[in-house]
Amino acid sequence: MRARLHLAALAVLLAVSGCSAGSTASVSSGPDTLSVGFTAEPANFDFTHSDGAAIPQALLYNVYEGLVKLDAQGKIVPLLAKSWTVSPDRKTYDFQLQPGVKFSNGAPFTAADVKFSLMRVKTDWTISIKSAMDVVDHVDVVSPDHARVVLSKPSNGWLFSLTSRLGAMFSPTGVGDLANKPIGTGPYEVASRRRGDSIVLKENPAYWGRKPAYSTVVLKYIADPTALDNALLSNGIDVISSLTSADSIPQFQGDNRFNVIQGTTNSEVTLAFNNRRAPLNDRRVRQALTYAIDRKAVLDLVFNGRGTLIGSMVPPTDPWYEDLSKVYPYDPARARQLLAQAGVKNLDLRLRIPNLPYAVSAAEVVQSQLADVGVRTTIEPLDFPAVWLKQVFTDDDYELSIIQHVEARDITTFGKPSYYWGYDSPRVQQLLAEADSGTPQQQVTDMKQVARQLNTDAAADWLFLFPNVIVAKKKVTGFARNQVSESFDLTGLRPA
Amino acid sequence: MTARVARRLVIFVVSLFVASIVVFLFMAVLPGDPAQVALGVNATPELLAKTRAEFGIDKPMVTQYLSWIGGVLHGDFGHSYVTREAIGPQLLDRLGVTLWLVGAGMVVALVIAVPVGTFAAVRHRKAAGAAVSGLSQIGVAVPAFLAGIILVQIFAVQLRWLPSGGWTPPNQNAGEFVRGLILPALSLGLVQGAVLTRYVRSAVLDTLGQDYLRTARSKGLLPGQALRRHGLRNASVPVVTVLGLQLATLLIGAVVVERVFVLPGLGSMLLDAVSSRDLLTVQGIVLVLVTGVLLVNFVVDVLYTVLDPRLRGS
Amino acid sequence: MTTLTPVRSRDTSLVVGAILVALVVLAALVSFVWTPHDPVQVNASDRLLGFSGSHLFGTDKFGRDVFSQIMVGARTTLYVGVVAVGIAALIGTPLGVLAGLAPRWFGEFVMRVNDLVLAFPALLLAIMFGAVFGADTLTAMVAIGIATIPSFARLARSGTLQVASSEFVLAARAAGRSRTNIAARHVLPNISGLLIVQSSVSFAIAVLAEAALSFLGFGTRPPTPSWGRMLQESQDLLTSYPRLALVPGIAIALAVLGFNLLGDGLRDRLDPRLAART
Repeated sequence: MRARLHLAALAVLLAVSGCSAGSTASVSSGPDTLSVGFTAEPANFDFTHSDGAAIPQALLYNVYEGLVKLDAQGKIVPLLAKSWTVSPDRKTYDFQLQPGVKFSNGAPFTAADVKFSLMRVKTDWTISIKSAMDVVDHVDVVSPDHARVVLSKPSNGWLFSLTSRLGAMFSPTGVGDLANKPIGTGPYEVASRRRGDSIVLKENPAYWGRKPAYSTVVLKYIADPTALDNALLSNGIDVISSLTSADSIPQFQGDNRFNVIQGTTNSEVTLAFNNRRAPLNDRRVRQALTYAIDRKAVLDLVFNGRGTLIGSMVPPTDPWYEDLSKVYPYDPARARQLLAQAGVKNLDLRLRIPNLPYAVSAAEVVQSQLADVGVRTTIEPLDFPAVWLKQVFTDDDYELSIIQHVEARDITTFGKPSYYWGYDSPRVQQLLAEADSGTPQQQVTDMKQVARQLNTDAAADWLFLFPNVIVAKKKVTGFARNQVSESFDLTGLRPA
Repeated sequence: MTARVARRLVIFVVSLFVASIVVFLFMAVLPGDPAQVALGVNATPELLAKTRAEFGIDKPMVTQYLSWIGGVLHGDFGHSYVTREAIGPQLLDRLGVTLWLVGAGMVVALVIAVPVGTFAAVRHRKAAGAAVSGLSQIGVAVPAFLAGIILVQIFAVQLRWLPSGGWTPPNQNAGEFVRGLILPALSLGLVQGAVLTRYVRSAVLDTLGQDYLRTARSKGLLPGQALRRHGLRNASVPVVTVLGLQLATLLIGAVVVERVFVLPGLGSMLLDAVSSRDLLTVQGIVLVLVTGVLLVNFVVDVLYTVLDPRLRGS
Repeated sequence: MTTLTPVRSRDTSLVVGAILVALVVLAALVSFVWTPHDPVQVNASDRLLGFSGSHLFGTDKFGRDVFSQIMVGARTTLYVGVVAVGIAALIGTPLGVLAGLAPRWFGEFVMRVNDLVLAFPALLLAIMFGAVFGADTLTAMVAIGIATIPSFARLARSGTLQVASSEFVLAARAAGRSRTNIAARHVLPNISGLLIVQSSVSFAIAVLAEAALSFLGFGTRPPTPSWGRMLQESQDLLTSYPRLALVPGIAIALAVLGFNLLGDGLRDRLDPRLAART
C-alpha cells in the first residue's frame, strides 16, 4: 500500500506536468529549418514600449520591415520604398513604395500605413530612441504608393534612423496586441514562442520579396554563454548569433564542423565616468584614469585580443571613423601625476556594472589596473536590465560603470546633458546639431570634431569595440560579417 | 487519526495564508519601479503615473494584497509588468517542466538509493559496504550544478549522445523529450541519491537489528530473504519521510539545474523575473514554490500518520 | 547489533573530517599573512599558465594565481559557514530551548513558525534577499542562516524536552530554580554535543549553497576570491582548461566532505547508538 501511495503521488505529478506542456507548435527539423542561438531573450514583441536590443534583433527585417534598411556594409538601401528623392532644402522626402506588399494579416501596405507608422512613433512609442522622429513635421499620402515626409529641419540622422526599429511599418489593423502578436510585412511571421526557450519564425507565404531559404527559423534563447556553446557543440543549434565570450573560440576553430566569422559591431564597451560628480567632473582625473588603463590588456584578457581599440565612440563602419586609440597610451606614471595635479588622494570609486559576463570580466581587469595607480574601486554587479537601468542609467547613482553601448551612431548621446554620462559641452552640442542639419560632407567633418573633443575631454573611456563573432555550422552561409544594424538579418542566410 | 489529519490541514492552510503575506511584503520592499522598468527610461511622468495606476501599484498595500490574493485564489496571478502576458498560464507551463524534472530526478535518486543503501546496510561490516558509504559521502559533497556541467561536457559535447540542454514537450516528440531529460535528471538525482542512500542504509540497519528479523533469520532465512519478506516495508517508513523532505530540496535544486540545462521551468522563470524586476511574476513563482514545499510537508505528515503503526491507533 | 560497528571506521570519519577541515582553516589563516602571489592581481602576460613551481595550480584567464585564490577562497568558505551557522545557532538554539521549557502552547507556536520558515528553502530565500538587498556574500549567508534556524530550533527543542523530563531537571524544578537557570545549568551542556554535530552538517550545506548562489550570480562579488565563483568563471574554459574548474570544484567537494565527516564522526563519539547512521 505504501508503494502504491507513492506511485500515485508520482502519477499525479506526471499528469499535471503532462497536460500543461503543450503550447508549442511542432517544429520539424529538416533542411528547411535553421536554429539560431542568442543570449538575450525578448521580454515581449513590442519594441515600441519595451527597450532592449533583443526585440529588434529578432523581429526587424525578419518580421517587420521599414522603408529602407542597412546593408552589410552599413549603406542605406531600399526595402519597402523602391526609391526615394530628397528636396534641395533636404526637408522633404518622397518615397515610391513597393507595389503588392501585404501585411501578414492580409492587409495591404500603402502610403497611409507609412503615415500611420511614422506619426505613431511620436504619439505612442515610449522607448528612449524615439526622439529621433521628433523632427518629422508631417506625412502626406500623395497616392497609395507615394508617401511624402516633411521634416521641420534638415536631418542627416533621420533617414538613418529609419533603418532601425523606428522605421518599422505597422498596419492600423495589426497593432492591437503588439506585445504578443507582431504583424509586419517581412519574410517571416512569429509562429509560436516558448518563453525561456525559443521563438519559432515561419515563412510568410504572402511575402512580396525573395522567398527566404529557410522556411522555419527557431530562435533559441540560452542566457548562459557556456550552455550556448554547448548547444552548438552538441548539435542542438546551427548558429551562435554572437559570442559573448572569446574563451570558447579555439574549440570551435579546432572543430571542422564549424566556421568562425569575425567582424565588427556598433557596440562600444565603455567605461562610463559620471562627469557630473566630483572628482570625476575634473578633466584631469578622467584623463588620469584613461592613462591608467591598459586597453590592449583589457581586450586581451576580456576578449582574447579580438575586437578593436577605438578611443572614441565611433566604430570603423561609420563614415567619420578615425583611429583615436593611441591618444592616451598606457602610462601609469602620467596617471599618478595627473591625479596629484588634481589634488585627489585615496580615491575610492564604485564601479557599478550590469551583472553580465563581459562587464564583470572587464571590471575585474579595470579594478586591478586602477589599483596600480592608487585608485580603489568597489565592483557592484547590478541585475540587468532592471536595477542597472534604474540606478545607474536613470538616477545617475554611480561613479564608474562598464556597459556595451549597442545602438548605431550613439555618439549623439553626448549631446544630451541629461544622459547618464553627465557630459555637458556646448561645443559638442553645437557640432552635433550642425552635423545633423548640414550637408553629408559637413556631417563627416563635424562628427570627426565631436569624436576628437570627446577624446580630449576623456568624457568616457572606450575600452574596446565588441567584435561580432558568429559561429555557424559549415552548412549555413550568407552571414554579414559586420553587425551594423539592430537586426539579426535572416534574409541572406542560405544552405552552403 | 482523523482529528490529527484535520489539525494538520488547518495548520497547512494557515501557514499558506501567512506565507502569502510574507511573500507579498517581501516583494513590496524590492527596489525598482515596475512602471519604469516596463516603459523604459524615456517615459514621461504622466505615462508613468498612468502605468502605475494600470498595474495597481499606486493603491494602498492592503488593497494590493487583497486584490492579488483574491485573483490567485481564482487562478489569476495577474499580468506580468514586463512581458504583458497573463502569469497564471505561464506558471502552469513552467511548473510542468519543473515537475517532470523533479519527478525524473526523484526516480533516479530512488533507483540509486534503494538498492545501494540496502546493499551497504547488509554488508555494513564488509569492505564493500564501507566503500559504498564512502562513495555516498563524496556524492553528497558534489554540487549538483558541477555534476551537471561535467555530464554535459562528457555526454553532450564530447560524445554527442545526448542534447546539452533545451526542452522538448513530451507530446511533441516523446523520444527527444526523454533524451533531453536524461542529463538534467541525472545531475539532480545523483546527488539526492547519495543523500538518500545514507538514509536507506541506516533505516535498513535499524530494521535489521529488530527482534522479528532476528527471529526470521533464526528460522533459517538468509539476511536478504528476511529483509525482503519483513524488513523493507518497515524500513520504508522513515524513508518516505525523508523522501518528502527531499522532494522539497529537489524542487529548489531544480532552479540551479534548469539554469545549467536551459530548461524553461519555474527556476529559470524565477531568475529571469528577478533580474528584470518583474515583481508580480516573482511573487507568483515564490508563492507556488512555497505552496509546493508546504504541500509536500503536509502530505508527508499525513502519510506518516497513516503509515506509522504507533500513530495509527491514536 | 549496531553498536558492533568497528570503532575504527567511526574514528576514520572523525580523523579524515578533522584533517580536511583543518586544511581549509590552515589555508585561510595562512592566506592572511602569505600567499604565493597577489590573488587579485590581473596579469595579461600570464594568462592560463599550467601547473608549475611558481604557479602551483596554474593561472586563470586573467593571469591570476589559482593557488593563491584557492587559499583566499578558503576564507570566503569559512566566512560563509560561520555567518550562516552562527545566525542559525545563535537564534535557533535559544528559541528551541525556550520552546522546550516554556508552556506547551508556546512551544507549539514556535514550531509552527519554524515550519513556516522551512517553507522558504535556503536557496529561494537567498535569491529573494539578493533581489532586495543586492547580491553579496553576506546577504546570501544571512538568508541561508535564517533558513537554517529551524534545524537548530527543532533539535534544541527535542533535546530540551528529553533533558527536561530527566530526574535532575525535575529535581531542580522542584527546588524552585528559574527556567534560565535550568537551561544554562542542565539543558545547554546536555544538548551541546548535538548542536555541534548540527553545526558541522549545516556548515557543509552553507558551503554548497554559496557555491550554487555564486554560480547563479547571487553570491560573492568579484573580485573577492570564492570557490563558487572561480568555478562559475571557468565554466566556458572547461573543454580547453578543465583544471580551472576542477581545482575549485574539488576544493568545494573536499571542504563539504570534511565538514560532513566531522559531523558524522562527532555524532558517533557522542552517541554510539547512532553510529550506524553514518
